[in-house]
Amino acid sequence: MERKVDACVPGLCARVVVNEGDKVAKGQEVAVINCMKTEISVMSEWDGIVTKVLSKEWDELEVGTPMVVLEVPNGG
Amino acid sequence: MIKKLLIANRGEIVARITRTCREMGIKTVAVYSEADRDAAYLSTADEAVSIGPANPLLSYLNMAAIIAAAQTTNADAVHPGYGFLSERAIFAQAVSDAGLTWVGPSSTVMKRISSKCYCRHLADSADVPFIPGTMDPVNDPQEVVVFGRKHGYPLLLKLDKGGGGKGIERVDSEDQVEAVFQRACSIGNMAFGSSACYIEQLVHRPRHIEIQFVADNYGSCVLLGERECSIQRRHQKIIEEAPSVIVSDREREVLFEYARRMVRRMDYHGAGTLEGLRSEDGNYYFMEVNARLQVEHGVSEMLTDTDIVKCQLEIASGQPLHFRQEDVRMRGHAIEARIYAEDPDTFLPSPGKIVELQLPETGTNLRVDHALQANSSVPPYYDPLLAKVIAGGQNRTEARNHLIDALHQFRIEGIKTTITANLKILGHPKFEQGDFTTAFLEESFG
Repeated sequence: MERKVDACVPGLCARVVVNEGDKVAKGQEVAVINCMKTEISVMSEWDGIVTKVLSKEWDELEVGTPMVVLEVPNGG
Repeated sequence: MIKKLLIANRGEIVARITRTCREMGIKTVAVYSEADRDAAYLSTADEAVSIGPANPLLSYLNMAAIIAAAQTTNADAVHPGYGFLSERAIFAQAVSDAGLTWVGPSSTVMKRISSKCYCRHLADSADVPFIPGTMDPVNDPQEVVVFGRKHGYPLLLKLDKGGGGKGIERVDSEDQVEAVFQRACSIGNMAFGSSACYIEQLVHRPRHIEIQFVADNYGSCVLLGERECSIQRRHQKIIEEAPSVIVSDREREVLFEYARRMVRRMDYHGAGTLEGLRSEDGNYYFMEVNARLQVEHGVSEMLTDTDIVKCQLEIASGQPLHFRQEDVRMRGHAIEARIYAEDPDTFLPSPGKIVELQLPETGTNLRVDHALQANSSVPPYYDPLLAKVIAGGQNRTEARNHLIDALHQFRIEGIKTTITANLKILGHPKFEQGDFTTAFLEESFG
């Protein structure tokens, strides 16, 4: 089923480090947020495949803003 | 003289600059992004102009929007503060091209000294010691290997155009060279638009010592003493003081002479800082020039009873400095604590809403530069600096006690701040004894 990896802190999107089609593992970094000039990693909570990248560099993010969509077998 | 100054920045530095402008009878224009629309410090300026959305690329880094704001408000000068566009030669040039006065050194000088290798050559020609390493960028990892075999490890790969604590990569052994070289180049390309990096030998357990200077257009260069800024987290300063307990009067004279020679050769007009390191065995090495006002300028102002922003505005207006070196008296001691919106244990950022606020009472020996207000938001998009608390005294003990008292009087609720970390540092026996290096935080608190 579809799962979204959300921003864990507010700030600006520094970069998304995965591409559509990539396989990601639980605990893997999928994106980096620049919060008050400090870079914070955003980790996937599931094993899955990236189906959509929603954020790009410099996007303003709030806690909970979806950044990456995953297809997760059996919902994780 | 400048009549109306636009301040191309945000936060406490806006309030700092407007204070001096009020004293000098200069009108001020503040600019703000959507995230700062309701910020309290904006009311310290005579006018405030919206320049774009929260994203700094579209607001505080948006040169066209800032210059347009200056033109629509009839400002005749631009002060860049620190951070943001303050060290971009191209912005200084754009300001001048728009017929406005740039408060800072010329764009030509800024462009030159943005290269650390240029500064190394400059120091070499001025007979000023600098950190041993290569004079110019290295072309490939093999050059690093050759250097390492000759001089040993660890060594540092530093980006020629790096800054703000970014672009310094440590190499501990030959098998790391290839990977670290690639990483440094990649960071350089992304963050600074240049992958050029050079080699510096590591200075073990150094202290960070810097010299504040002001130089006018008529050949006068006045040194306002040194600052010690060794207490840092993530290569960024948190406690600064002047004078430094480690710099003797004789050493200060030597450092002053180095500074005069460097400033003369740079053809630099304005306020600036020469940053350096002092090694454990007492050698001083010049490191880089900061072509702007620094966050910690206030400790030098308190120590010497000067106003560095006033000097900047006078120099930019083409006036000579209103005092000479022999007029500068360094009295007592001054210490600054930077209060950041960060967790005091992990130093991780803590944006949010300030729900309750109490500030200490300021006076001759206590200055608080801040952008705080109850019921206001601290946005996540910008630097976490909330306030600078500067305390003075007849000696270091008095200044330190004064600063500790002041920090205890703060009450900031709703977000985490570094106040308890500042107090822990100031109360540490090693700090009290003045016995520390840039590794202090790591070594003392893990």
